[in-house]
Amino acid sequence: MIDELLFFMEVLVGGLLAGTMYSLVALGFVLIFKASATFNFSQGAMVFFSVLAFCGFMQDFNIPFVLAFILAALLMVVVGLCTERLVLRPLMNASEDTVLMATIGLGYVLEGLAQAAWGVEVRRLDLGIGDFPVPWIADNLKLFISALDITAGLVAAIMIIGLFLLFKYTKIGLGLRAVADDAGAASSIGIPLKHIMLLVWSAAGVVALVAGCMWGARAGVQFALVDLALKALPVLIIGGFSSIPGAIIGGLIIGATEKILEVYIGPYFGGAIEGWAPYVLAIFFLLYRPEGLFGEKIIRRV
Amino acid sequence: MSDNLSNILDIKDIEVVYDNVILALHNVSLKVPKGKVVALLGANGAGKSTTLKAVSTMLASERGKVTKGSINYNGTPIEKQNPSQMVGLGMVQVLEGRRCFGHLTVEENIISGAYSRKLSKGDINQELEKIYSYFLRLKERRKSQAAFTSGGEQQMIAVARAMMAKPKMLLLDEPTMGLAPQLVAEIFNIVKELNQKEGVSILLAEQNTNIALKNSDYGYIIETGKVMLEGTAESLLNNDKVKELYLGISKKGRKNFRDVLKEESLNKRSN
Repeated sequence: MIDELLFFMEVLVGGLLAGTMYSLVALGFVLIFKASATFNFSQGAMVFFSVLAFCGFMQDFNIPFVLAFILAALLMVVVGLCTERLVLRPLMNASEDTVLMATIGLGYVLEGLAQAAWGVEVRRLDLGIGDFPVPWIADNLKLFISALDITAGLVAAIMIIGLFLLFKYTKIGLGLRAVADDAGAASSIGIPLKHIMLLVWSAAGVVALVAGCMWGARAGVQFALVDLALKALPVLIIGGFSSIPGAIIGGLIIGATEKILEVYIGPYFGGAIEGWAPYVLAIFFLLYRPEGLFGEKIIRRV
Repeated sequence: MSDNLSNILDIKDIEVVYDNVILALHNVSLKVPKGKVVALLGANGAGKSTTLKAVSTMLASERGKVTKGSINYNGTPIEKQNPSQMVGLGMVQVLEGRRCFGHLTVEENIISGAYSRKLSKGDINQELEKIYSYFLRLKERRKSQAAFTSGGEQQMIAVARAMMAKPKMLLLDEPTMGLAPQLVAEIFNIVKELNQKEGVSILLAEQNTNIALKNSDYGYIIETGKVMLEGTAESLLNNDKVKELYLGISKKGRKNFRDVLKEESLNKRSN
């Protein structure tokens, strides 16, 4: 009985922590969705691009870890700058659908650039954090929980607190929320849209880099990271596209349910339901709560 | 009103085209003297909003363009400016339909108006108190989410937000649209007060001819993109044609100024 409970706890905690890895990817989407009401299809490519550059700086140029990370983050700011100047500004008055299509194109450009610059082979990323159970927790609590999962959880927590403070208490955060509500009205009172866009895309780029580091350390830095972004879709549907806490909680829910379903119900389906169970959950949310758990409700006075 | 320096805004013969084909304004000229309230009157689709957006340079975001003529604000041409630069120069537009930031609180909405200014926290609070002294109602509701406030309150938020940018000139686009008469009066009282105490020049687009003229110094009436009549507010209020066409004191089935002019030219010819 105790063993079963412990096993359940282990599955649950493992799932929750793995979920924070999804949350990290989803965060990047939320940032851009908030400011431009567009689903950024290139977010997956940004994850791949940023972490591959990070690995490249370290492995091909022997730049030390911290410096390489800063360089990669700066590179993502440059990507944000170019995106604003070359893609978003010319499309300033275009419909949201047009911008959506442009992000798909941007994704291909980033994938191509990354592979042209750094090659196509899978790279190993060693963060110095092992993807194996932490002995102390295993001994004392009898739970086998990966050190990488715990790190991802901590990193996600730090990022959400940081972003929350940025949005709630800074001037640029207020500007961003204003633009998210009504870009036209925001520009009528002098909030410069291009600064806000630049900020958001750079922040999304840095978030992509962090998410890429976590996933790269687990699964290797490879092209498959691009498709990871798709896992963020059910996370966003459940959490709400425009909510940062939503991205985190959505990730936790997806992580926990997919692991629990896999372990307890998976055998009846011949396993591997992890791959599609989150999407089934997402469909239920779309039917009964389309704005997600924390998405901003469409407020309409009657 | 010939002296250029006394006019904060000088629009000369502008033509505006949307999407490169739709002609929305032809040959509109108007002036706003410093410290005065000027009303721009006309029905739906007459070109009031287009004129205001041409001035605030917000036309570009709606694929509109000034193709002829010139607009001078405070002595400088505005062609090369963008909306946030215009705000920096002290010209702020309050858009039609209030357009508050619904998910922000009332106070956050108002503070967002100061975005273009470099103010410390203390300065912002000082400015806020000053703004609240004009909009007492908003102070009570400072913590509410803007989307849940009434239409009149939202209009006040929009004006208060614009005032936070410390404008020299306000462009108000139909501030009384859809409001009850009592609120209309309240809004106009505030606008008048802002004009007198803060010295803000105002260009006001309205359909509500009567109350707009009563609160203005000068008026222009436009129809289908042309200025049909202009004059001091008093002269327009006493003008028979204006009375008939815009103030609802009508005799026969005449619809607009074009019909009146046609009729007059017919009369001349028969004489």
